[in-house]
Amino acid sequence: MSVFNELYKYRELLKTTIKKDIRGKYKASFLGVLWSFINPLLQVLVYAIVFPYIMRVQTPNYLIFLICGIIPWTWFTYSLSNGTTSITNNANLIKKVYFPREILPISVVTSGLINFLISCVIILIFVLLGGVGLSWHLVFLPVIAIAQYLFTLAAVFLLSAFNVYVKDVEYMVVFLLNIFFYATPVLYSVDMFSGSWLAWIFKLNPMAHFINAYRDIFYVHQIPQLENILFLILLGFILVGLCYLVFKKLEKRFAEEV
Amino acid sequence: MKDDYAIKVSNMTKTFKLYSDKANTMKERLVRGWKSKPEVRTVLKNINVEIKKGETVALIGVNGSGKSTLLKLMTKIIYPNKGTVKTNGKLTSLLELGAGFHPDFTGRENIYFNAAIFGLTKEEIDKRLNDIIEFSELGEFIDSPIRTYSSGMYMRLAFSVAINVDAEILLIDEILAVGDQHFQDKCFAKLHELAKSNMTIVIVSHALGPIKDLCNRAIWISDGEVKEDGKCDKVIDDYLKECA
Repeated sequence: MSVFNELYKYRELLKTTIKKDIRGKYKASFLGVLWSFINPLLQVLVYAIVFPYIMRVQTPNYLIFLICGIIPWTWFTYSLSNGTTSITNNANLIKKVYFPREILPISVVTSGLINFLISCVIILIFVLLGGVGLSWHLVFLPVIAIAQYLFTLAAVFLLSAFNVYVKDVEYMVVFLLNIFFYATPVLYSVDMFSGSWLAWIFKLNPMAHFINAYRDIFYVHQIPQLENILFLILLGFILVGLCYLVFKKLEKRFAEEV
Repeated sequence: MKDDYAIKVSNMTKTFKLYSDKANTMKERLVRGWKSKPEVRTVLKNINVEIKKGETVALIGVNGSGKSTLLKLMTKIIYPNKGTVKTNGKLTSLLELGAGFHPDFTGRENIYFNAAIFGLTKEEIDKRLNDIIEFSELGEFIDSPIRTYSSGMYMRLAFSVAINVDAEILLIDEILAVGDQHFQDKCFAKLHELAKSNMTIVIVSHALGPIKDLCNRAIWISDGEVKEDGKCDKVIDDYLKECA
């Protein structure tokens, strides 16, 4: 329980760090925080041009199909790449001030979550303008987001702590995210592989489950596989707990190693 | 009374691993082998120090003697290899000024960032905001981004936040060379005021003159051991004799 006490005591730090993570990055630029929404939109634009016209993908409403995948994926990559370096990039702070170290990874993932929730408005705009429409299935959005939050946080706890000791981790993460992107049904649908032995990749990949679930509520309008998501939430809690313990163990020598 | 101490260091030893060239990358680790033993250097040997509430203590010693390491151990930035370091009361350490400042935000916003790192809540910062701005003498510049500040202005703002975070224990490392003579005098005046108000202060400094005025006890650390511990005047005199 002392974990939560300490975090509660430092809640203002958590708040200002999240604020800095969201606004600080783009503060000096002309469009400011809008960049965090323009970036995924531009990415969507590129894929929406490339895939239907060059690769001849036949998914109906491909643009909307795509955006339901890209927006959660952006949250995931943002959190993993920035989270991994969250301790090493704040070496000055780590060496000079005491504060609960877990605030840094937590704030990266949380600022990603806030960005994601705001970006969901973009999905809604596309869904409405694209003629797919809304449905009551949106009530499941928080459940899916919680599951994704837990998995991402667990990974970021582990990676940020490892990166202090072995600096290669941050470069490996960039590469692995790249592979992971193609192993996750962001650009294509899992149905393309039904019956194929490749389908097991999507069973083992939690991001595949999340993106399928987001598509269910925004695009297909059906109830996502709830027992799946609830199981992932449970697993997520266990992983966060375990990874947090590892983080706490490695944290003791952060100031010396960073 | 069982908890009249503010800081209690018992049988504490701290060692650092000394890498001639630290194996940071995977390649280096693989090539040298994961297990290759780095040289271990003992920075602090079996330290026993108890600082009572309300004391103002100076840590003195030559460069590399381990004073700053001791201060970092008290802050819980690093942890001892043997023994324990216990603190009792809300602790603030000023090992560096302006921790957490972000250059693109205004002085006012940075006060919130910086004070939050010391564990203050929004309401607590709101209450102190005027004192901090007034102490920093920044006037209208407080609403400009701090990348536009001169280094003197930057330090003044940072010190003002740090000094207005009221803690029960204050740890200060060599940061008093702030601003011009006028501002330095003001800082020392503030420290005197805090020392009188029953705050526990531990200060590392080479500015022995002002330290002598401020502190009532000094601990001389030499080669990782406590060489002398006692009345400030006497310890500093002995220290100066040895250095001469």
